[in-house]
Formats: sequence, C-alpha cells, structure tokens
Amino acid sequence: MTQGATKTSSSAPPGAAGSPISGVGQPRDRSYDVIVVGGGHNGLVCAAYLAKAGKKVLVLERRHVLGGAAVSEQVFPGFTFSVCSYVVSLFRPHIIRELGLVDHGFHVIPLDCSFLPLPDGRSLARFGDYARTRREIAQFSPRDAEVYPEFGLAMSKLARFSKHVIDHPPPEPTSLAPRELLQLLRLGRGYQALDRDVRYLNLKLLTMSAADFLDEWFESEVLKGPMSVSGIIGTMLGVRSPGTAYVLLHHYMGEIDGAFRAWGFSKGGTGAVSYAIAAAARGFGVEIVTEATVDHVRITSGRATGVVLESGNEITAKAVVSGCDPHRTYFGLIGEQHLEPELVGQLRRYKLRGSSGKVNLAVDRLPDFTCRPGPGPHLEGDIAIVPNVDYVERAYDEAKYGAFSSRPYLNVVIPSLVDPTVAPPGKHVISCFVQYAPYDLEGGPERWPRQREAFGDTVVDTLAEYCPGLKESILHRQVLTPWDLEHEFGLTEGNIFHGELSLEQLLFQRPMAGWARYRTPIRNMWMCSSGTHPGGGIMGAPGELAAKAMLKAGAA
Amino acid sequence: MSRAYDAIVIGAGHNGLTTAARLAKAGRRVLVLERRDRVGGLAAAEEFHPGYRRPGVLFDSAMVRPSVVEALGLQSHGLRLRTVPPTVLALGNGEGEGEPLPIHGDEDRAAEAIGRVSRADADAYRTWRELLRRLAPGLRALFGREPIDLVDIESEHVWALGKRALAVRRMGKADLMELLRLPPMAVADVLRERFASPVLQAALALPALLGSFAGPRSPGTMLELLRRECLGGPGVTGGGPMLVEALHRAALAVGVEVRTDARVRRLRLGADGVSGVELADGEAIDGRLVAASCHPGHTLCELLPPGVIEHRFEHRVRTLRSRGSVAIVSLALSRAPRLGPEPVEFARTGACLDDLERAFDPIKYREMTQTPVLDLHVATVADPSLAPEGHAVLCATVLFVPHAREGGWDDASRDALGERVVQLLSRHDAEIGAAVVAKEVLTPVELEAKYGLHGGHPFHLEHALDQLMIRPTPECIRYATPIAGLWLCGSGSHPGGGLSCAPGELAAQAILAAR
Repeated sequence: MTQGATKTSSSAPPGAAGSPISGVGQPRDRSYDVIVVGGGHNGLVCAAYLAKAGKKVLVLERRHVLGGAAVSEQVFPGFTFSVCSYVVSLFRPHIIRELGLVDHGFHVIPLDCSFLPLPDGRSLARFGDYARTRREIAQFSPRDAEVYPEFGLAMSKLARFSKHVIDHPPPEPTSLAPRELLQLLRLGRGYQALDRDVRYLNLKLLTMSAADFLDEWFESEVLKGPMSVSGIIGTMLGVRSPGTAYVLLHHYMGEIDGAFRAWGFSKGGTGAVSYAIAAAARGFGVEIVTEATVDHVRITSGRATGVVLESGNEITAKAVVSGCDPHRTYFGLIGEQHLEPELVGQLRRYKLRGSSGKVNLAVDRLPDFTCRPGPGPHLEGDIAIVPNVDYVERAYDEAKYGAFSSRPYLNVVIPSLVDPTVAPPGKHVISCFVQYAPYDLEGGPERWPRQREAFGDTVVDTLAEYCPGLKESILHRQVLTPWDLEHEFGLTEGNIFHGELSLEQLLFQRPMAGWARYRTPIRNMWMCSSGTHPGGGIMGAPGELAAKAMLKAGAA
Repeated sequence: MSRAYDAIVIGAGHNGLTTAARLAKAGRRVLVLERRDRVGGLAAAEEFHPGYRRPGVLFDSAMVRPSVVEALGLQSHGLRLRTVPPTVLALGNGEGEGEPLPIHGDEDRAAEAIGRVSRADADAYRTWRELLRRLAPGLRALFGREPIDLVDIESEHVWALGKRALAVRRMGKADLMELLRLPPMAVADVLRERFASPVLQAALALPALLGSFAGPRSPGTMLELLRRECLGGPGVTGGGPMLVEALHRAALAVGVEVRTDARVRRLRLGADGVSGVELADGEAIDGRLVAASCHPGHTLCELLPPGVIEHRFEHRVRTLRSRGSVAIVSLALSRAPRLGPEPVEFARTGACLDDLERAFDPIKYREMTQTPVLDLHVATVADPSLAPEGHAVLCATVLFVPHAREGGWDDASRDALGERVVQLLSRHDAEIGAAVVAKEVLTPVELEAKYGLHGGHPFHLEHALDQLMIRPTPECIRYATPIAGLWLCGSGSHPGGGLSCAPGELAAQAILAAR
C-alpha cells in the first residue's frame, strides 16, 4: 500500500492533444540557435518565445516527462498527480495570450474556497463570495468580518502596482546609465501614483512579518492562521519572521483571465500547463527531447558554444539558456573552474534551504471532516491545517534545529473533485503540501530517505486528526521529502522556488547582484528559471523575460 | 499660573534634555517636566540597595552622537569620552567549551585574541571591521541625519535628497550592493557566512537583538547590527549616568528650567493647537510648543483628549509594536565578579547562535525561557563610587523576558528570574552566589511601571525594519505631529532608541527650522 518516492510512471496528461515531445535521448540536429536546458515550465516558455521570434530552438529535458516541478504523473495506475506544484495562480495572462496556450489545452478551474478545519470542531470556510465569507468570519469575530473586505481592497490596490514589477526585468539601482535611470523613474512614477496610505502599506508589507502585519488588521487567530501561511511557503522562515508579509500579496495577485485573487487547478494537473506550453512551443518549431541529460555546457574562452550530453554527444548552439536553479546552472552546467572566486562566494551565500515536502495520496473515498461532515464546496478548494499562528510558528521552531515539524502546516487539495480525469470513478487523489520539512535534517540531509516514511506518517496522522477515516481510505501514498525533490526533480536542497524569496534575493539581487538580468558571466550563457526575477511559482515570467532579454541583446 | 514658556519638554531623559538644551541654546525659554523624582530617565543612576547604585537600564553608550557632545560642550560639563571601545568578554555558556574570548575594542588586539581560537576568524574579523567602516557613510546618510519621508517622497527637497543619494553612490558599486543586501538579512546568516567560531558569532550577534523582538535568525536584525557597529563610537566613560549628568548641567547652563515630580496629566489645546500642559496636581502651564520625549502612544493617545487625532492615525499609533523583551537584574556584590582572568566591564553569555535563538523561541508564545542570554555590565569597573569600597555592582540585561507573560508576573516568578540569573552566572564565577548582597529584578512590567515605558520596551518602539524606516508613523515622521505645536523628541522617533540623543537633537533642529 505504501510506496516510496521514486516509483513513477509517465503519462501524457489527459486533455493534451498528442505529445509535444519530438524525441527521446537524441536531438535530430547537431547545431541550433539556442539550447534550453531543462523542460520545466519556464524553460518551455523561454523556448516558445525564442522560436516565435524565428530562432531554431532545442529543449533538453533530463526526465521522461516534461514540466520540471510543474508536472503531472500517473504515479499509481489510474491516479494522476500534480506531483510537485499543485495550484496555478500567478501565470501571466499575456503569456497565455501571446503563446495561444488556450488552443493547446491550457485550462484553469478556479479554486473557490479556502477551508480551515479546527481541532475543536469549529471551522472556517472562505469563498470567492464576500458576503458568504463575512458570515463565516463573523462566527469568530464580527469586527474581523467588517475589516476583511477592506483588507482585500487595500491589498488589491497594491497588487496592481506589484504586477508592474513582476512583468518587467528587475531595475538596476547602481547603474547610472540613462536607460536604467529611466526604468527606475518609471517605477518611481508608478509608486507616485499610489496614494500615501497604500505606499505606507507597501513599505510595511515589504519589511514586516506576516503575523505582525495581520495583527494590525485582525484579532481572530482562526483567521490569521491560514492567512499568515502564504507568507512562508517555500521559505525557511516563520510567520513571525520579518519580510514574510509581502508574499500575502501574491494571493491578491493571482489572476485567471484577468480576475484578481483567483487561484485554480489546471485540468489534467499542473503538468497540463507545461504540456500546453510545450505544444505551443512545438507549434513555433521548437524541438523538445526528453531523457537527454546535459552533463555540462561547452565553454570556450569564456563563451558558451553548446552542450555536452551525458551520452558524450555534443550539440552546438549560438546561445545556451538554463532553466535549472542557480546552483545547478553555475556549479553543475558551467563549472566552478570558469567562475571568478568572488562570484563563487556570492553563489555559495545564495540561500536555497528547502523547507517543504509533499505527500500525495490515492484514496477510495472522499475525506470526511468531523467539523463539516460529508461532501460539499469546502472540499473543492484548498484545505489548510493551521489552527492558529502559534501552531505554524512552533512548527518552524522545530525545523530550525533540524527536525521535521511534529505537527506541520498542511495545504491539502483534492483535484479529482473538480477534475474527474485524474482518478478512477469514485476514487480520489489528495495532494498535501507540507511545511516544515527542512532539507538540513539534524545529522545531514542524507538521513532523509530513512525518515521518509516517518515523515509521511506524521502528515497522515496530522490530517487524520481532522478526518478520522482517512487512514483506512488510503490506497497508495507517495512521499516526497526535500531530499527527493532534489534527487528526482533537480531542485537543489529541495527548494521549490530555486532559492528563497527573501528580500535580499529578489529583484536586482536574484540570483546575484550584477547578474540579475538573465545573463551570466559566461557569454551566450543565460538563465530563465525561478532563480531569476521575479522568482518561483507557475508564473512563466522568468522564462518570458529571459527570452525577451536574449532577443533584445541579439543573442543567437 | 506662570507666564508662557517658548517650549515645554516632557521628560528629562537623555533625549528630552538634549532637545531642551538645544532649544535653550538657540535662545528659547524652556521648561522640562519630569514625572520622576530625578532627571536622567533610563540613564539615571539609582540606589537599589543601601550603599549600592546601579546605572540606568541602558548600558551601551557607543551610539552617543558626537554632534550633541560638541554642540552642548558636554566635555566641559564633565563628560569623558573613551578613546577605545571597551573590551567585551564572550563567555560562552560556561559548560566547558573553552576559555572566554575577549573581543577588544582595539582591532589588532581583538584579532590577536580571536586568532588564538581560529586563525581564519582573525582575518575574517579584520575584513568585517573594514566592511563596517566602508558601509558607515551609507548608514550615516540614512540614520545619522534627519529622516527621509519614504511615504511622502515628493515632500523631500530634490537636491538635498540627491546629495544624500550621491553620498551613498560614492561608496562604490560593490559596497553599495552590500549595503542593499545586508540590512534585510538575519544576523545569523551573515555571521555564519563570515565566521567559524560559534562563540564569536554569538557575541557579535547579541547587540542586534537588544532592541528588537527578534532572534538571530530573524530577517532584518542585520540592520540593527549595522546601525550599532557603523554609527557607534567608543562611548562614554561611566556610560548613561555620566551622560545625563553632563546633559543636565549643560541644560541648566543655557537656562533650561527643570522640574522633577511634575507629572503631565494632559496637553492643553487652544484655538490653534497646543497651548500648554496640565500637571497631575491641576497646575496649568502655558507653552507655545510642547516637545514630548515619551512613547508616541502615550503622547498622542493618552495626553491628548480622545477624538483629537484622526481615527486612522490613531489606529497606526496604537498598533506600533513595543513588546518589551528584556529584564534588568542588578546584583550588589561583596566583591568584584570573576568572569575572566582580568577585571571585566562588559561580558556576554551564549556559546552559539542557536543558544540565542532558543532563548528567543519561548517569548513568541509569551513564555519565559529557562536559559536566557545575559548581556553583562560590571558598572563599578568604570565608576567604583557606585558601591562601597571593594564591593561591586553587576547589571545583567536578560534576554528574552516577555512583558505579556502567560499568567502574568508575580513575586514568585520575579524572584525565580533573579535566582536563575545568579545560577547562570555561577557557571562562570562558581562562588558568585555567596557574594550576592542584594538583588533587584526589573521585569518588563516593572520597567513599564517605573519608567513609563509602554510594554516595558527600553527603545519605546521595537527596532524592526518597518519601525526604523518610518518611525513612528508617516504622520509624524519629521518630529512634528498633525497637532500644531506638538512635537515628538523621544526614542520613538527617527533614528530610534538607545543612548544616542539623536532623536532629541534632530527634533530640536526640526523645531528651530520650522520657526
């Protein structure tokens, strides 16, 4: 019944028209304009934009499936999981339009409810419908119910400003070049257009902890718990750590078809997003090859000239762009011998520190929550296990010293409820995002494989406290620790965002000061991953901005 | 009823005295009103047991602003500046992890001592001090001068702003990048990048935690460390008491009137703003302006009648964070403590960064740690007159002690805290228990009651990134409040708390410039 992490089997996601993969192991040609290393969603977006501009592009993916961490896999017969990332929220709408992704099967089903079961039998469900949400919140605090819409409004105003930041390359504050100053000025004007209250809010959001920030608005722990956690996802920080508040904004930046605040499931799992991009890319002429591991980038006198595959085959290109994280790109593909020692120092300081894991369950019936028995809309969105702020802070405290949380924060979704294609009739898939699972376990990360099942048990036990019949309903279980995320998906230290989204690793400092514009010190070698601005999540923005930067620079 | 003063300053702490003296020096008729029976606020020396006095509750005088010393001629009023920063002894946790490590104020001596523990750290320490020196101009441009109103940036003078920006730009690209990278970081991350010795890491990190509600792993603590290390100097001999005595004398010399035992009950308002104050005994005093050095929340929400300030502004003031996190334990000792091979004035406990972090964890849940970290000050080293001949006064700032302790504070829990501190000290000086003549324990609750500190926070407002950038709120960032004639001049204003006198001086400058 219980399965290890490594058992996977490939499947073209339902809903994708044909396979966009053009070959396995070996590309058709020996020479391309651009080689994209890594078939994650950013690599595919980058490839699509380059090919659309007329470049001859090759994508090389190490695994047998496309999508990187935005991947759907039939892990157990009949059950398709969004193995890693599981919701779509910040995918840039203009990319959907410009690449024509809807024609290739891009379809996001809005996620309408955030459900919070509590150990004392009460519960809170927040819906897209404000009136309904206010009634729910009023059970805990009438005052918070009043403030909630006001909070949403203030955050949405700010989200509009922040969108400008994520849709453009990062500013370069130390440069005195006219073009850079102009861009700073443009950003400044956007800031000037905000009213004073919103600006103050902006400064607070950037610097405060999620918990402190919410304390200024709300009184109910029941509301603040689930709201605060969006600030810590993917980071090795707690909700009381300064700098975590700004991620609250992401919730208000999520947009589907232009509507703010919406999160959603991709039909067929998040891998279907990757396959839609891949299909679009293929339409523009991109060649996509799976099971082709790049050993290193060929560098001749400080210039990238192509890649060498693990098989020994060499493919040349005018430019190479990496969709891998900064560590894999610089230390793996490029190699330390080609880097200045100072840059190596900068890279070593780049914080990855994976902090989360994933438990995927195949079940023979829906979970039944004690506090809200039976099926209902509360199961169709995301379900958060975080009864209060202290709960998740204590979970963090344990992780700081190298243990996984004995009672972790869980974000649970049941995609099969809204997308029946992912499970056999009557059966369901449950995906649990788990934090904290520190990569640096006490005794070393290599201890993870021996801790894997204990970790899985903790997650199931935690969830089962709220829905008692859960354990009996489990048919299969897949446990992914940060160690597995590193080894299976190539995420260094298991960091799902290719590096912490902390203030000093954002904008012009992502991944490093001086190399934040998708370039690297190696000529013709570029980056397009979540490790570049504007960061992680299924956004597509780094891929798009990298492609545009390359085209502008006349690369390839 | 007396005739109107040009300015009434509320609070005779180091900032209040600075504002008063600066205004009087510019020719204003100034009255200072102090609630307590003595001047000096948090810095004043107090007798806590017959024959034993302790300095105030702020022991670090490194931040004292040279411009205040100069403008008020404090050295002619008895102030003596140190020439070299004092040595701080890093004690570890006393569980046999080796000799205590002295961090000398003199850099060469410091590197030499560190080199005995780790050769690499000796070099790293030099590099570190060098970096701090290079970053200093940038920090000074931001925190050494009047605040920059980031919210209402249009109101800044473009040229003045440009000049400050240029000062920062002149640092060179690599240093500028460090200046942008470091402040939002956690001290633990930065110190681990640079140093190998755990006890050194812990000792260097501690100053960053005194004024904030944060552990070494909390992002933003690096800004506090940079401020302390880049803007600080060698400090004052005798610390806070010597500083406020000199300030008091300087203020009197320029004609400031100081009244103690004069508690302000409320601010009086006239047709065009503040017209004076009313004391607790009902006495009314007229003043053309009032500068308050108390907590902004006290000034704006308690001294002003309700409804005077706008609702949103009031909400901002009320949500300012002032969660006190330290207690002050003072020991009267029959002999000098034996913390190291030589007599030592300053010492710190904590064997590694995680000792500090673990001490911080419980306070988040309003609980008291069992292994607090101690920042120690043997006050009688610089001023033997504080205790009888041969005796000593040892003060400990105890981190982390919650103000809002679950279940509250009572005599038993307070005594237990004092006992615990003596126990911890006996790991370093085994016989110290026998030498204790008397103990005084000031929990955050007592600090609040005694000194009028909201939440028992000695810096008025926590030193967190947001509360350092905009301090206290956008409405009164430049010391003026929306109420005409009412000014703020205390630690709750830019650039923050501690014995710097900077808010007091910058407020006085703003007041004088406004007229």
